[in-house]
Amino acid sequence: MPINISNAKRRDAVVAMEGLYARRQVQYLDSHRRPVRTRKLLKTDVTHDLPELMKKRKTPAALANALIKEDPEIDIEEFGMFLADTSRVYVTKKGIVHLIEEQEIVYNPDGTVREKRPRKKDPQNINTDVPLKWTGKFIKKQEAIQKFVFTNKKQLVHVNGLTFDFLYDMAKTLQKKDSLLLIRGGEKGDQPVIMNRGGKAYNAFLEGRVKGDSYCLILHLSNMELKRPKEVESNGKE
Amino acid sequence: MPRPLILSLDGREFPVQIQKIDRDKLYGKVDIEAFDEKGNSAQLFVLAPDGKTLIDRGGTALATVDEDGNSVSRADLIAVDEEGEKIDTVTSSFNQVNVLKRAKEEDYLSQLVKSVYLIDPVEGADKKYLQDHVSAGLIFNFDFSYRGGLEYDNAYILGNKSDTFMVVGKPAELEFVKLNQSVDLDTTEEEDVSADEISFDDLR
Repeated sequence: MPINISNAKRRDAVVAMEGLYARRQVQYLDSHRRPVRTRKLLKTDVTHDLPELMKKRKTPAALANALIKEDPEIDIEEFGMFLADTSRVYVTKKGIVHLIEEQEIVYNPDGTVREKRPRKKDPQNINTDVPLKWTGKFIKKQEAIQKFVFTNKKQLVHVNGLTFDFLYDMAKTLQKKDSLLLIRGGEKGDQPVIMNRGGKAYNAFLEGRVKGDSYCLILHLSNMELKRPKEVESNGKE
Repeated sequence: MPRPLILSLDGREFPVQIQKIDRDKLYGKVDIEAFDEKGNSAQLFVLAPDGKTLIDRGGTALATVDEDGNSVSRADLIAVDEEGEKIDTVTSSFNQVNVLKRAKEEDYLSQLVKSVYLIDPVEGADKKYLQDHVSAGLIFNFDFSYRGGLEYDNAYILGNKSDTFMVVGKPAELEFVKLNQSVDLDTTEEEDVSADEISFDDLR
């Protein structure tokens, strides 16, 4: 995934941003020690759900009898088929709809409704004409660790010789400062980072490490602080 | 009362309770309601590749299959490591004393976070000694498994002035990348900022 990011001199470049994964240490084999894999399959569809089955029968007792005698909840031909390339669709009583309006219901931590509002899908801001901004705001690693939960991480990687120097230098600067750098989006550099349209907004922090002539630039993404929820405070703390 | 998790630091034992926390508990959550152009409520479903089968929540399952596509029972599965050696199961961290080791900031920052827990002492106990250490910025870790299983996760114990937390995850596969030479550049407009100045409430 490309990312347009600027450095301390306000020079910007499009580089690659890669997802990070945990090393998979466990693999599974069948009884013949052959590899196995996981597949998604169809268990049931809406025409075999309880509301649909109840439409054809007047009482739960009648449905219970039918379940025992006729197995109306099972489609032998379809159920168990492997699923791939599924899509998500909105459905009303009349069928699939393509034009919909979405509304957000915002809840407080205690479950009460705070606000209802039309859903706003902000565009991504990691690869636009406006580069993500090197804000010059550094936070000591220890302070950041004690304050934020880094719920997601990406690694920035150069795409040619020029961007190698560009990123290597960023990493070197950040390592020297022993700090994370706050990264912002938007013209004014005052917006959180959004990876895709309508996606989660994150506070983003850049960490740099250098080892000889190699570097590692990590974009730490955080959407929560490391703190005690108020609800827990009132219930559990003296 | 739930079973305590016993942490051990410098020979002192701390029986604690852990409580999972997430963004919803801190800031609330957002649900989406959808309507068609006439205001009729719309529901989100999964559409199967045949273009007609609609699937509601719970309508799909994951199955383990062999190379021929035949279902394999979980009881018949053999867990092996990267070398193909059979893996021994690990015990639940709730069944043992968990000795804390000092951890580096760098290792913690290399972690892919799976869960965050708030740590409180069990009734009648205290965790002042542990709290004093994490308040000072020290980080500890131990191997953690909630229920036992095939492998441990990494659990990091850290905290702020008033609370202790356990952050559970796995190390990311970070890679140091190299090419050509490095160039020194001057930094400009540097500014130290307090973490308190960064808002988390508006992240929606």
